[in-house]
Amino acid sequence: MARHRKYQEAEEGNPALDISSLIDVCFLLLIYFLVATTIQKKEVDVPLALPASAPTDSEMPDIDPLFIKVDANGAIYVGAGASQEMLDTDTSIRSLPLLSQRLNDYSVGANSGGKKALVQMWVDGGANQQRVIDVLNALVGAGISSVTFTDLVD
Amino acid sequence: MSSKLREASAGDSDECALDMSPMIDMVFLLLIFFVVNSSQAIVKQDSDVKPPIASYGKKQDDKNGRIVVNVYQDGSFKTERGLPLETDDDIFELVKKAKEENDLRSYKSKLHLRGDKNAVFKHSRKIIAISAKAGVDQVMFATYVTEK
Repeated sequence: MARHRKYQEAEEGNPALDISSLIDVCFLLLIYFLVATTIQKKEVDVPLALPASAPTDSEMPDIDPLFIKVDANGAIYVGAGASQEMLDTDTSIRSLPLLSQRLNDYSVGANSGGKKALVQMWVDGGANQQRVIDVLNALVGAGISSVTFTDLVD
Repeated sequence: MSSKLREASAGDSDECALDMSPMIDMVFLLLIFFVVNSSQAIVKQDSDVKPPIASYGKKQDDKNGRIVVNVYQDGSFKTERGLPLETDDDIFELVKKAKEENDLRSYKSKLHLRGDKNAVFKHSRKIIAISAKAGVDQVMFATYVTEK
């Protein structure tokens, strides 16, 4: 009995890690994240670099820019003057298949000639924001980064 | 020690104890889930603006230098902090001041345009034109990758 009591005392004297503070910290962190987290959709960027000023002679593009027009109804035209062509008109479709095809062809042609594809856009003030983003999205998809707006001043 | 006292002390050690380990495991798992999944917001997102959809949008990774303007469906404008921008001068001053601060910190100024998908483009164009006048020619249109 005496021996058993001695063993019990030694067991009680063993060093034990007190994890209660660790659990407290974990709970605090968990509550912080639960409270602070809001389930929100992530936004992404569609970049656009505006021309800082009119290009000088040395900066003049060595390729004819592709003109894109977006009218108030969301119809998309390519080309200027008599050669202007109406492409995608269905505003419910985000992908703009005809414009994308045209942009890809233009981009491949420009790249094969060692030139940088350049697009000039004219957007009607009444056009929907989503429609303009659709066009910019198609440009990003075709790898065209040189885009200018011709109508920044009314 | 009397036998009665010994019995009493033996009874103490047999007390039923709550096993905390599954709860701690669960807390750690939840904690790790939130730590891994959470990402810091690049800009404050005003829920009144519903950005358009762009499948080729690029991930926002650089917060520095962004000058945020919210464009609402009715054509009104607000800053990231919700301050209304009523006149062209307000917009110009906002962009100019922010650009000066960014220049001091060596950040490249970018216009972060959060335009509502149902707004007409002339409002966004106005912001872009004023920003260009104030010396900011880089525009970032805020979009979603998918509809859902």
